[in-house]
Amino acid sequence: MSTGIETQSDAETGEAELEALIGDRALARDEHLNAPGFVVNPDDVQDVLFDLRDEAGYDHCSCVTAQQYEDRFETIYHLKKYADPTDEVSIVVPTPLSDPVSKSAEPVYRTADWHEREAYDLVGIGYEGHPDLRRILLPETWQGHPLSADYDQEKPQVVTLTEHANPLESDHRDPESDTMFLNVGPHHPATHGVLHVKTVLDGETIADLEPDIGYLHRCEEQMCQQGTYRHQIMPYPDRWDYVSSGLLNEWAYARAIEDLADIDVPEYAQIVRTLGAELCRIASHMLALGTFALDVYGEFTATFMYTFRDRELVQDILEDLTGQRMMFNYFRVGGVAWDLPEPREDFFEQTRDFLDELPAKVAEYNDLITTNEIFQTRCIDTGVLEPDVAKDYGCTGPVARGSGVDYDLRRDDPYGYYENLEWDVVTRDGCDNYARVLCRMEEVEESAKIVEQCLDLLEDWPEDDREVQANVPRTLKPDADTETYRAVEAAKGELGIYMRSDGTDKPARFKIRSPCFSNLQALGEMSEGEYIPDLIASLGSLDIVLGEVDR
Amino acid sequence: MNGAVPLQNGDTVLLPERIADLTGLGELGVAGELLAAFLGAFIIANLMLAMTGVAGPWAKRKITAAFTDRIAVNHLGPAGIFIIVADAVRLLSKENIIPENADRPAYDLAPIVIAGSALLGFAVIPMGSGIHLADPEVGLAFVFAVAGIASIGLIMAGYASGNKYSMLGGLRAVAQNIAYEIPLVVTGMSVVLFAGSLRMSEIVAVQTETTLFTIPGLEWAVPAWFALVNPFAFVLFLIANFAEVGRNPFDMPEAPAELIAGYQTEYSSVYFVLVYLGEFLHIFLGGAIIATIFLGGPAGPGPAELGIVWFLLKIWAVFLLTQWLRSAIPRVRIDQLIEIGWKGLLVLSFANLALTAAIVGVIA
Repeated sequence: MSTGIETQSDAETGEAELEALIGDRALARDEHLNAPGFVVNPDDVQDVLFDLRDEAGYDHCSCVTAQQYEDRFETIYHLKKYADPTDEVSIVVPTPLSDPVSKSAEPVYRTADWHEREAYDLVGIGYEGHPDLRRILLPETWQGHPLSADYDQEKPQVVTLTEHANPLESDHRDPESDTMFLNVGPHHPATHGVLHVKTVLDGETIADLEPDIGYLHRCEEQMCQQGTYRHQIMPYPDRWDYVSSGLLNEWAYARAIEDLADIDVPEYAQIVRTLGAELCRIASHMLALGTFALDVYGEFTATFMYTFRDRELVQDILEDLTGQRMMFNYFRVGGVAWDLPEPREDFFEQTRDFLDELPAKVAEYNDLITTNEIFQTRCIDTGVLEPDVAKDYGCTGPVARGSGVDYDLRRDDPYGYYENLEWDVVTRDGCDNYARVLCRMEEVEESAKIVEQCLDLLEDWPEDDREVQANVPRTLKPDADTETYRAVEAAKGELGIYMRSDGTDKPARFKIRSPCFSNLQALGEMSEGEYIPDLIASLGSLDIVLGEVDR
Repeated sequence: MNGAVPLQNGDTVLLPERIADLTGLGELGVAGELLAAFLGAFIIANLMLAMTGVAGPWAKRKITAAFTDRIAVNHLGPAGIFIIVADAVRLLSKENIIPENADRPAYDLAPIVIAGSALLGFAVIPMGSGIHLADPEVGLAFVFAVAGIASIGLIMAGYASGNKYSMLGGLRAVAQNIAYEIPLVVTGMSVVLFAGSLRMSEIVAVQTETTLFTIPGLEWAVPAWFALVNPFAFVLFLIANFAEVGRNPFDMPEAPAELIAGYQTEYSSVYFVLVYLGEFLHIFLGGAIIATIFLGGPAGPGPAELGIVWFLLKIWAVFLLTQWLRSAIPRVRIDQLIEIGWKGLLVLSFANLALTAAIVGVIA
């Protein structure tokens, strides 16, 4: 199943074993709802993580959460196994307010690089041994760390361009060098949003590459921390991955809060959720395919319009279901907002019509795109991402599955109604741009299967048992100091949310683990040594949405 | 007509001579002939520019829209045809922004070189209905030579813009043109072998006057259009031509997803119009060359006066093909493109030359 570190990955690591492994280095125990937590000394964290990765098989550093308490800073490493994502452990690293520095996890997990930079940027924790501890989301000259306690939230900051960096200042980093520095983006036709890739070119070959993100940072985490659990947070997830993945994102929050507040969702609502989520996945993958075609074909390609034509049909169905085209706000804590639209028969018919036509359309895409010889020469063996590297960077979703990493939370950490349905996880061993495209196209077909089964179930569901929402109190106040980290399989990969409650009706800390954020880190690994067109294709095949990367 | 102009064929009546005859300019001696030649050039240039005017803002939109399931312009005039006027006003009234680091006057000259080189090529193309400006002995070589000048324009635009994307685009354009000009010319030579002349009018005459075979029973004489005599050469030439004019799958010099717009990134307003016109003119010139040396030039059913109609139809057919490929086919990578050029097309074009020599040997 997995190709990475195999030591004990297939066996569930018991808490006793973990205790034995960490031994004296555990200062205390901490209980998170999703996983056992171990409090570790800032100097020991690297050793502990090495042991957990090599001895216990925790090869997936899913997320790094940083937060400030009244008396300390805290970094939490949420570890999982690619072979079994339900086998989780949290490593909690408290650091004193006066000297918030702990050892970096970057040598253990490459993905910790950006996560720790974000922690430094937003909360202000330092990481010893980090290769490049700079701000990541905010400009270099930003004053203070917005999520730390002593930051003045009321005072606006204006960071001018000249204060930040003058992009016209130096074209050449080294006048003697044969290389050329080239800014790809933030305004560029192929960056899928405002991404800035600093590239160093040797001729047309990429010698070095560094994605510069943060142009679309909208303080999403902070906004969620200021909203109430019950009603005010749910609209935000729609705006993370805003290209028609709304329901998938909403589910991430729904799953986390339902875990935190211990809410059971009625079965009927779960089926409706599954239906909506998979429709979103189809729409999202259609868009990914279309924009990838734009990158490889050029701006006049017919493929792009074809995928949009088909995505539009999904969009219509979702609009009928949720009342919105993009910003659905359809999930509720404990269920969904309302039942299927009346008349139900029309809705079923419309959706079934779409599903019936889908195979012909997928065949058309295969004729038009994947079987094209030029397309294959462009995509096969370019943007290669080896499975081990993918795991090291915390890649998930079609990016990981295109590299043969058999990891899908819908199956491995089941939620919703997925367990009871017949479908397969698509993996491809190509590890290249082509494999990722095929992976998405096949996932569309699998999603169609799921939707079809959901339709059957919903059609036959007894009329007096259509409960769309659980009975949830008007105000949710989970017990103080409850912590959880829950993830769902969004269109781009593992979308996780960490929440800590402080006894009020708003979360004390709300942290989003964005799949695009982790996937994008691997871009350098995929593109260095290849040509500019391969960089563009690789970026397209990662299918990032900057709204989710920058949050 | 005194026949003193050395670059003219005695058999055909060229456009300047007709004009001289019609207007009486011929009686004014050399000055009159010169004026008549200018008038002729003016007419042909305007015909071509008018065609690009139709193609750029309107036909291209409509064609691409048809391929991509859309409607495109439809508000101004019938089928949106007056968008041409609106676009002209829009483009010409924009501010001409010249980058600070632009290397002038190379930056200013490049658009003229790009557009002008293509226009020069039309001088020797026999378009039928008596529209033929000049018919020099070296006609075909002249066309290839002037079309090749565009490479200079492209690299001028590329380096003079002071933009790295333009630079990369300019370099790509030159690498590509060099790689594909040789197969283009070598394939063109195979036509010369067949026709026994570089003179455009003779190439056309040989194709239309020779009969390839007659369809039995129907009494249809199939003319020996070179595309029918040697389809292999035709396909080779078509492919090399797409690379030469920079269209999919070889639109590397622009490659919008990669290089923004390549060498034309920094051009705006009138300069942009010129660069854009130049591109279309080159596509049309490519179409004109293909029509002339492979598709019998202005030949077609009906009276000879309809020649220009057939000729333009053939050009537009080639244009349509470029737009079709644009919608349907991915672009290759620059290294793959060079590889196809040097390792594939070059070898094949020499093979084709040998093949043609054999065919000519058999027929003759």
